[in-house]
Amino acid sequence: MRRRARHLFFAMAVAGSALLCAQTRPMSFYEETLPSTLNPLFARSMVDSRVHEMIFDRLYFHSPITNELTSRLVESWAVAEGGKAVRLTLKKGVKWHDGAPFGADDVCFTIDALLNPDTPSVLGEKQRAIFRGCKSESKNVALVQFTKIFHNPLERLAIYVLPVHSFNGNTAIQPDHEFAAHPQGTGPAKGARGRRGVTFNSAPNLHHKLSIPTMSLQEGSDPLVQVRTLQNDGVQGIIAVPPGYRADVAASDNLALKSYDLRSWWFVAVNQNKVYLKDKRSRQALDMLLNRTELREFTIGVKPNEQNSPCEFISGPFVQSSPYYNRSVPVRPVSDRDTAETLLLEAGFEQVGSRWHQNGEPVTLKIGIKASLDLEAPDLLSYIGNQLEAAGFGRQEYKIGIDDWNRLVLTGNAQDYDLLVGKWSFGLVEDVNPLFHTRDKQGGGARNIFGFSNPEVDALLQDFEKARLDTQAQDAYHKLHEKLAEELPYLFLWKLDTKSAWRSNVRGNTISPFYYWTELDSWKYKP
Amino acid sequence: MSLWWVRTLVRLVVALLLPLSVPCIIVYLIWALPGDPASIICPPELCPNTDALAARWNLDQGPWHFFASWMEAAMAGDFGRSWRLEPGAMVAERVAESIVPTLLLVAGAGLLNAIGALGALTGMLPRRLHVVFQWVGLVPSLVMALSASAAITLGWIGDGTGALGLRLMLGALVLGLSDAALYSTVNGVHGLVQSERKQRYAQIAVLRGEGVLSNVLPNMLPALAGQLRARVVHLLSGAVVVEVVLEIDGLGDLLWRGALQQDFVVVVATAFFFSLMSAGVLLAQALVELVCALLVRRAPQVEAA
Repeated sequence: MRRRARHLFFAMAVAGSALLCAQTRPMSFYEETLPSTLNPLFARSMVDSRVHEMIFDRLYFHSPITNELTSRLVESWAVAEGGKAVRLTLKKGVKWHDGAPFGADDVCFTIDALLNPDTPSVLGEKQRAIFRGCKSESKNVALVQFTKIFHNPLERLAIYVLPVHSFNGNTAIQPDHEFAAHPQGTGPAKGARGRRGVTFNSAPNLHHKLSIPTMSLQEGSDPLVQVRTLQNDGVQGIIAVPPGYRADVAASDNLALKSYDLRSWWFVAVNQNKVYLKDKRSRQALDMLLNRTELREFTIGVKPNEQNSPCEFISGPFVQSSPYYNRSVPVRPVSDRDTAETLLLEAGFEQVGSRWHQNGEPVTLKIGIKASLDLEAPDLLSYIGNQLEAAGFGRQEYKIGIDDWNRLVLTGNAQDYDLLVGKWSFGLVEDVNPLFHTRDKQGGGARNIFGFSNPEVDALLQDFEKARLDTQAQDAYHKLHEKLAEELPYLFLWKLDTKSAWRSNVRGNTISPFYYWTELDSWKYKP
Repeated sequence: MSLWWVRTLVRLVVALLLPLSVPCIIVYLIWALPGDPASIICPPELCPNTDALAARWNLDQGPWHFFASWMEAAMAGDFGRSWRLEPGAMVAERVAESIVPTLLLVAGAGLLNAIGALGALTGMLPRRLHVVFQWVGLVPSLVMALSASAAITLGWIGDGTGALGLRLMLGALVLGLSDAALYSTVNGVHGLVQSERKQRYAQIAVLRGEGVLSNVLPNMLPALAGQLRARVVHLLSGAVVVEVVLEIDGLGDLLWRGALQQDFVVVVATAFFFSLMSAGVLLAQALVELVCALLVRRAPQVEAA
């Protein structure tokens, strides 16, 4: 009798612990890298943006389902001060993760922090051109003031709100503040950064009810290891699956590929500060020497006439589905060596033997690529180098780590390079001004890789900034597209679909463009 | 006149200087890098107002100012906050979390070596096993750690989840065996015993029917302490590779990640704690030497005919 009772006790204990394990097992997923910070004021990468979307709420956001501009924090709004301000009435009962009530003081604190020049944030610098100030009129009413009248002011309010109490009201926020490691948000999950990942715990709120108790972000390593771990249920999702591994994922019954609309496009930035690339004819020649069809086939595996290709060519700085894409500018799928040679000769190049020379010196191009892109398009750098070498240019190839890319390339300090292969990603708002505007002290051209400067381009970018109507904005960017296709600060390559992979026991997983986790509340996970 | 105290004194002085000099050297090395440290941590284009950040982080008045202010804060237990590795995280907390796995790793490897040393000391370890240890010790720690990591990842050892306990156990094994760690210990202790056994006093003790070990051990203690110190320092430095490869959240891994991310405050603090541990071992050796010199009546070093 006693033995039977002992067996029963053990069986119950085993079953109980199995149940406990199943219930507490977090939903794990692989991200490209670990986030650089959990403070949205200092976001630098796509990973940062995605992680912040889980922890914080933006004042306004585009619903991925209806595409409407909406808010989880604002009850109602009204135009004030003749259009140069909006009065926001905030929802009552929303709380920060630590239980403190959310209110107008927090909204105004966030805007004041963005405006404070002692907050060393690039985002803050950009926002200073938009916001003038903020007044907390009552606990739940904030008056947000703009520098000028915007035709759709709520579009400008896609900012994450920070809690005033976490900073004791000090608006000069520093990147190494404790908040960057242990943030308090109003988003669906409370996040805590560890050395090898980030843990998210559900934080029920008036406006969020996340049904997954715990989530775990892990740094992705080799894509093959990621896919194998996913197949073995070691993790439940991968944010971005490289094209070469998608067939493997699609073949598995327990896995599903999901589209992640990133509006991202690939380019080769050209350093026009180099003597031999200053003349736009030399840049046009390089553009004509690239055989994009071959590049796409060899690196991504897209057959020349493949239908529904995950990769489509572009002729300017927008994806083809964008309203800003100018369809009158043709793409260049194959190379045109004869025209390229004519252009190079016109630009002062000489052909000695099989090599191109300028000023009596053979031209060797120093080409770099953001190392992480090698996972999506393996050996792209080598293939580009091969094509240019076959056309008569020497080449040196370099893979640039994410840290050096952020530190040198994005800041315009990689002038040693002649060509840089990279990728830009956008949300619904495709603002390319930071990429092509002349670098200036007001923060213009903040992402201008080689310091490209063209007055006509600057004027078109200004037109886009000033546009009050969508048609005006489209018109400005159509002209910009045409101009850039002629000036070629970039050789535009293609748009490559981004696909996520999730196990079938993760359901309701609506993936939002760019921010990914906007509809996290609808996600369900059954271990 | 015997100058036995000179070595002990040197060890004591070095032990005291080590925790001060290592961070200082690292700080000067950081300043020797091209570009100013604040801009390396956060370039002006990414962090507007870098000058203010440099002032805040004490990076604006040269290496000595940074070192002095860092050391002053460190003495009060404040090691600052991470700038890049985990922005905002308290470095002291990260170091405290990391010390335990490192100590467990080194202790595990140390235990393996201690067993080997005991075997060599008592003669219980057969001499032919030395060759085995020598061959195993030829494998570099990196290769052995990578093999262990592959075994864990592929599920050959454990359930494929790579639990910390398993990684620590394998790590200790790798650390204790690779790079000739165990072989050096066993061979070193064996050599010491053999040479001491040849001494006249030991031979006389044997003739008297006394135990050899009880006679030679007090005389060997300072040399054994020296061996132990060298071994522990070897294990501490080897722990960096093992922790990085086997993903053990120890001090070595923290140092490695901090260096990769150019998070100077993490690097300086981690190196400080490594130097503290090395200083502790040096201090222990000096203490053993001191005790032996004062309390143990040393036999004259004369070999038996």
